[in-house]
Amino acid sequence: MHLPPWFWFGLITLISWGIVGLLQKLSTNHLSAEWALVWLAVGFFILEPWLYPGKVLLTYSHRGLEWALLSGVFNALGAWALLAALKSGGKASIVAPFTALYPIVVVFLAPFILHESISALQAVGIVCALIAVVLLSTESSTA
Amino acid sequence: MRVIPQGLKAKWFWYSLLCVLCWGAWVLCSKLGTNEIPASTMQFIFAFGFIPVAVLVLVMKRVKFEKSAKGIAYSLGNGILAGIGGLTLFAAYRSGGNTSVITAATALYPLITVVLAVLVLRERLNWLQMVGLGFAVVAIIIFSL
Repeated sequence: MHLPPWFWFGLITLISWGIVGLLQKLSTNHLSAEWALVWLAVGFFILEPWLYPGKVLLTYSHRGLEWALLSGVFNALGAWALLAALKSGGKASIVAPFTALYPIVVVFLAPFILHESISALQAVGIVCALIAVVLLSTESSTA
Repeated sequence: MRVIPQGLKAKWFWYSLLCVLCWGAWVLCSKLGTNEIPASTMQFIFAFGFIPVAVLVLVMKRVKFEKSAKGIAYSLGNGILAGIGGLTLFAAYRSGGNTSVITAATALYPLITVVLAVLVLRERLNWLQMVGLGFAVVAIIIFSL
């Protein structure tokens, strides 16, 4: 079976973020959500020495660098909005599945912004994934 | 019928919607950035985007410093793992795969969290989560074709 090149990268993302989901539960047992977010950001910076690209950084276009920076800002704002939703009375059992639906925004905007389209089979896969992520985000009961 | 207008009045609804829109924008910016910039450099710059939001959160909420060593260790671990996940996500976008498919596939990460929560935290799966596991497996098989 020939897997697409992105599959293995995506699998590492899936596993890393899956563990993050667990650690998040554990960290917020000891810290407020705000400090958990701040220390998470500090954790990003622990990786920075290995990621530092050197002088080549200055050769990229302003537009490219802006997309990269905006990517971080939007991700962090999304994380803050999720915290705010939970703090302002949203039940985790509703807010978590709701916010897991962000791929819908991408599916609708990708044809216009990225000029990408999806096949019928990929559409079925995306629908299955969205149903899965909503159901998986419902709250577990503690044994 | 009165449920919908009441839901729309709730602050949490609008914050949740903002979260969905921000994360949608994060994906689109990521894809546009990776058209030119390598994955490791994307992750390097991405981290700086967290600074203004982290400062804003602390200033707005006026949260006092919390010195739980365990909590800090878990959160730092979170940051490192989230960074590694972000790095490979940028690599996936840069590999030329379909953005919607990659986004939907990687958004399945609660699959791993739920399995780990059962193994580590001894949580029990509810029946909805079990059905969700089934859908996740089907989605992953379809994406691998």
